[in-house]
Amino acid sequence: MTQPNLDPAVDYPLSDNRRDLLFTPTGRSIDDITMEAVMSGEVKATDLRITPDTLRLQAQIAEKDGRKQLGANLHRAAEMTAISDERVLEIYNALRPNASTKAELEVIAEELESQYDASFLAALVREAADVYERRDILATSE
Amino acid sequence: MTAEAIRQPGGDVRHSARTELLEDRPVNLDGFVEEWPEVGMVAMDSAFDPQPSVRVENGVIVEMDGVARADFDFIDQFIADKALDVETTEQSMALPADEIARMLIDPRVTRKEVIAVTGGLTPAKLLAVAKNLNIVEIMMGMQKMRARRTPANQAHCTSARDNPVQVACEAAEAAIRGFAEVETTLGVVRYAPLVAMALQIGSQVNPGGPLTQCALEEATELDLGMRGITGYAETISVYGTEPVFVDGDDTPWSKAFLAAAYASRGIKMRFTSGTGSEVQMGNAQGKSMLYLEIRCILIAKGAGVQGLQNGSISCIGVPGAVPAGIRAVAAENLIASAVDLECASGNDQSFSHSAMRRTARLMPQMMPGTDFVCSGYSAVPNYDNMFAGSNLDSDDFDDFNTIQRDLQIDGGLRHVKESDILAVRTRAAKALQAVFRYLDLPPITDAEVDAAVYANGSRELIPRDVLEDLKGAQQVMDRNVTGLDLVKALESTGFTDMAENLLVILRQRVSGDLLQTSAIMTPSLVVLSAVNDANDYAGPGTGYRPSGARWEEMKRLRHVTSASNPELEVE
Repeated sequence: MTQPNLDPAVDYPLSDNRRDLLFTPTGRSIDDITMEAVMSGEVKATDLRITPDTLRLQAQIAEKDGRKQLGANLHRAAEMTAISDERVLEIYNALRPNASTKAELEVIAEELESQYDASFLAALVREAADVYERRDILATSE
Repeated sequence: MTAEAIRQPGGDVRHSARTELLEDRPVNLDGFVEEWPEVGMVAMDSAFDPQPSVRVENGVIVEMDGVARADFDFIDQFIADKALDVETTEQSMALPADEIARMLIDPRVTRKEVIAVTGGLTPAKLLAVAKNLNIVEIMMGMQKMRARRTPANQAHCTSARDNPVQVACEAAEAAIRGFAEVETTLGVVRYAPLVAMALQIGSQVNPGGPLTQCALEEATELDLGMRGITGYAETISVYGTEPVFVDGDDTPWSKAFLAAAYASRGIKMRFTSGTGSEVQMGNAQGKSMLYLEIRCILIAKGAGVQGLQNGSISCIGVPGAVPAGIRAVAAENLIASAVDLECASGNDQSFSHSAMRRTARLMPQMMPGTDFVCSGYSAVPNYDNMFAGSNLDSDDFDDFNTIQRDLQIDGGLRHVKESDILAVRTRAAKALQAVFRYLDLPPITDAEVDAAVYANGSRELIPRDVLEDLKGAQQVMDRNVTGLDLVKALESTGFTDMAENLLVILRQRVSGDLLQTSAIMTPSLVVLSAVNDANDYAGPGTGYRPSGARWEEMKRLRHVTSASNPELEVE
């Protein structure tokens, strides 16, 4: 998807200057998150989440403002929006030292790629697996 | 230095009256130790710290600070691959350390130009740069390198009894006093849902209330954040040696994953680290405290998290005990800012028995201004502070405001007249009472509200039924109560302005504006960050200086004699 070309000096904060670009995961405009809609139950907690598109817009702003690493984190975050809270916490726990074997981390990396199209996150997990092996902080297989 | 046996009191040595007086001064209750570099008990100048070096081959860093890539520990590798700019590192590293130190303080070198260089510096090189700077130069550097132009402050709002009514009142008072963030934590962890809710609700009494946080174990903290009960997170700890990191049950990769997790839910987050933590956890590998802290700073940078809470934090007693320790603490704040991270700069734990020493420890952050001068300032009495006290507490509000006025420096706070404070405390307690009733949580009586509004601390409160509260806290989790439920509860019980404020904060998650570096919300509900409020300091007469309405507000104190009528005080 082509992204609008943003100018951090003009467009940020998006919540003030580019509301036209801001949507909820259910496709509502940010302007539809009104008290009335909340009270009627039309807007739910799941609407108050950021979308991958918005995260990529913020990544663009970070990068244009000279923050490469922050941009990369926001790209990983964009991929992570598709993963459930529960699974996010499970993968986090699997990345703790001595928690997973190399094969287990590889399975997670494959899941990230195939189920969530999350190539940046998969790369992060594979990188961890390599370093953990070299530094001897993988779980010993049962 | 020659060792001298520790003298026992009551010996038959005759002392002067002056010695006896000095012996009784509070500063002599503080702990001081000789440097011991072999175990890392040295602030920033150790013969065991590595010499700076870098070597790049085929776009990969193959040597850093005298260590070959094959021998990198996981921290070295994370920094080399993720934090350092491989394109510029050899060029930046070729600059002499004293020249880079001069760039940091020279107003004619812009912040951007400095960052173009620091982005390529290894930990040992950043240490060499810091070693060139005395404390005044560190402050000058901070004045220019702080990411956000406007300084701010953060408060601790806790209760020794984990009393939610008190925490709601303290959050409302902290907000009206000017804090941009408020943080809580618990004595009894199971109380967390109720106290976090109280903090969130109390913060909404004024428009543009502070962002809220509940410091807990990583997974629980993320859970409360995902529910929208808290607004940001900061206790994501990183460490400067591999064994200590592993003892903390994490790695730079697990923390980087967590950084993405918070951002993926639209939640602002910063890491935490600080000088002395590795010594305190018994594995400093014989390196200086500042060298190890610089590794932490670069882990935060490499993970792509927008900021860092540092400044020794809960380990302040360790650098505080050694020579130049407080200079090293100021240097770690500067380096975080100099690599373009938000810096929440400590001053957040009981540090000294000496009021003079506590103030001196604060000045290197308060004078130049940082993104958050304290992280945080205890908005409650010392005995109620569940973060083990802070360098400043509620007893110090008037002193702090006076220092701001004396020196015309902005520590983010203001004097507020008592009637206004009582009004917001009352409203916070009543809103919490209404929300508890609406959500069928243990009742809050009018007498409890009254006691909390007028209390200084938890000693003046009416004790709650803790067992019932803990059942209620469990229900909040089981029923999956979210931030949106708090909006509905406030709206349904007639606290419509507070409901609107909270909805604005939750709506920010959809926009992601708070994910940018050093973001806060202003009282007019606008996001202010390093993107739209970039520090533009360029020497005398430039950059942020308290002026206009803000300076007029800072001139107010509890007692100021009127110029037109010396019999009266200015209101």
